[in-house]
Amino acid sequence: MTAVVVSSVTKIFNQGRTDEVAALSDVDLEVRDGEFVSLIGPSGCGKSTLLRLIADLIEPSTGTVTVAGQGAAKARKEQAYGIAFQQAGLFEWRTVLRNVELPLELRGLSKRERKARAEQMLALVGLEDFAGHYPAQLSGGMQQRVAIARALAVQPPLLLMDEPFGALDEMTRERLQSELLGICAKTNTSTVFVTHSISEAVFLSDRVVVMSARPGRITASIEIDLPSRDDAGRQSPAYFDKITEVRQALRGTPASAPSPRSSESAAAGTDAR
Amino acid sequence: MKRALYVLLGLAVAAALWEGYKVVGNPEGTVLFGVRILPRADDLSMPHLWTVLERLGRPELTGGRPVWIVVAQACLFTLGITAAGFVIGALVGLLLAVAMERFRVVERGLLPYVILSQTVPLVALAPLVAGWGGTIMPPWAVVSVIAAYLAFFPVAVGMLRGLQSPSASGVELMRSYAAGWWRTLVKLRFPSALPYLFPALRLAGAAAVVGAVVGEISTGTRGGVGRLIIEYSREATSDPAKVYTAMLGAALLGLVVAGLVSLLELPLMRHRRHVEVATL
Ligand SMILES: Nc1ncnc2c1ncn2[C@@H]1O[C@H](COP(=O)(O)OP(=O)(O)OP(=O)(O)O)[C@@H](O)[C@H]1O
Ligand SMILES: [Mg+2]
Repeated sequence: MTAVVVSSVTKIFNQGRTDEVAALSDVDLEVRDGEFVSLIGPSGCGKSTLLRLIADLIEPSTGTVTVAGQGAAKARKEQAYGIAFQQAGLFEWRTVLRNVELPLELRGLSKRERKARAEQMLALVGLEDFAGHYPAQLSGGMQQRVAIARALAVQPPLLLMDEPFGALDEMTRERLQSELLGICAKTNTSTVFVTHSISEAVFLSDRVVVMSARPGRITASIEIDLPSRDDAGRQSPAYFDKITEVRQALRGTPASAPSPRSSESAAAGTDAR
Repeated sequence: MKRALYVLLGLAVAAALWEGYKVVGNPEGTVLFGVRILPRADDLSMPHLWTVLERLGRPELTGGRPVWIVVAQACLFTLGITAAGFVIGALVGLLLAVAMERFRVVERGLLPYVILSQTVPLVALAPLVAGWGGTIMPPWAVVSVIAAYLAFFPVAVGMLRGLQSPSASGVELMRSYAAGWWRTLVKLRFPSALPYLFPALRLAGAAAVVGAVVGEISTGTRGGVGRLIIEYSREATSDPAKVYTAMLGAALLGLVVAGLVSLLELPLMRHRRHVEVATL
C-alpha cells in the first residue's frame, strides 16, 4: 500500500478575497511504504502547506489526499502520523519530559510506559539531562530536538517533518540524520521531510521532490540511490552527482528537461517503477 | 516573604501620606472658586491614625465589647459572604468563558451583555436582587449574589482571552493528535489560560469585597462590616475615629482576600518559579 497519495491538489488561501494566495497548483505526489521523500524548494513555494495538507490540518481547495489507503481526515483521527513543525511549538508549562509524553498521554499509555518511552526518545536526541527543564530554559536548537523527540515518541508509520534540523549545528545535525535513518529503516517508517539543504535532502532521501514557487508546484522528482548512507556515502560520486542534479532542478534549468511541466510528468512516469 | 515586606511597605507609605497630609493640609480644606479640591485635614474629618488605633481598643458602647472585636467579627461575616460570592462569580465567569470560546455565536451574542452588565449601578441592582431573591434566600445569600455579580466579570473576560491565547501551532498540534474539543481544552487551552486567570481572579476578589460591602449597605443586611460603616458614620460628629475603625477593617479584609487568592496561584503555576512568563 502507498503511504501517501496526493492527487491533483490545489490549495488557494483566502479564495475570492483580495489577499488570495495560490499556494499549490495541481500537485501530484506519491510516497511508497517505507520511502523517504524530501521536499525542497524556495521559501514560500508551499512545502509546509503540502505537509499540512497531508496531515489534514488544512483542506485542499481541489483534489484529494490519501494517507495509508484512507482519507487524510480519517488517517488523522487514527493518528496515523507523527508531525514536527517548522517551529518547535512546545508547551511552555510542561517540562521537556512531559512535552515528549504529551502524544503518548493522548494515546492513553500508562504513566510508566510514557516515562520510559519519553526518556528513551530524549536520550536519542541527546537531551536526557534536560528532562526536568522547561522549554524557555532551552536554546532554539534544543527546543527543536525536543519537538523531534515528541514526533518520534509515538513511533508512527508516517513521519511528517518540516525543516526539523534547521536550527542545529552541523555535528548534531549529522548525528540526528543517522539516528532518523536508523529509526526509519528499523520500523519501516515512511517519511516526508521538508528541508532547505540540498545535501541533507540527497543524503537522507530515496527521492527528492523539487518544488517551485508562485504558484507552488512540483517541478522535478529525483530518485536517489546512494551506495550507503554513512560517511562513505557522503563521499561517493553518486552523492555529488545527485547534489548537482537537484541544484540544477532548483535553478529551473535541468539539462534533461526543456520545461518544468514536462519534467514533472516525466518524474511522475518514473515514480511507478 | 518579599511580597509580605512590600505589603508592609505599602501600608507604611499610606500611613505616612495620611499623617503627612494632616501636617501640611489646610484644616478647612482647600477651596478654589467655591469648589473644594482638597479635603479638610482637621481631626473631625481625618482623625490621627493613633486615635483610630486607640479607638479600636475601647468599648463600642459604654460597657460593651471592645471595638476591634466587633469589627473583626463583622469582617469575618463579610469574608464569608465575599468567599461565597467569589466562588459563585468565578465559576460563572469560567463557564461563560468556556462557552464563549467554544461557540463563536455565544461570544458575539453574550460578550456585549457581559460588558453591559457592569454598567448597571450596584445601588440600583441591589434592591432588585433583594426583592427577587429575598423570599427564597437568607439575606447573606442575597449579598453573595451581588458580590458574585461583580466578581464574574473579570474572570469571564480574562479567561476568554486566556482560552483564546494558544498559538495556531499549538491548536494544530492537538488537532494532529486527533484531540477533540474537550481534550484540547484540558491539555492546551486551560493551562495556557492560567497566566490570564490569576490576575483576573485577583480583580474578582477585590470586586467581591466591594460587592459584599456595598451589597450589605444597600440591602440593609446586618452583621457585616458594611452595615458597621453605616452605623458608625452616624456617630461621625461625636466619635470621628469610630467609622475609620470599620473602614480599616474593610481595607484589611480586601488585603486578606487578595492574599488568599494569590495563594491559589502557587500550586498551579509551578513553572513560573523557573521561567518568566509574559502575561497580558
Ligand atoms: N494560513 C495561510 N493563509 C494565507 N496564506 C498562507 C497561509 N499559509 C501559507 N500561506 C501562503 O502560502 C504560500 C506557501 O507557504 P508555505 O508556508 O507552504 O511555504 P514554505 O514552502 O513552507 O516556505 P518556507 O520554506 O519559507 O517555510 C506562501 O505564499 C504563504 O504566504
Ligand atoms: Mg515552511
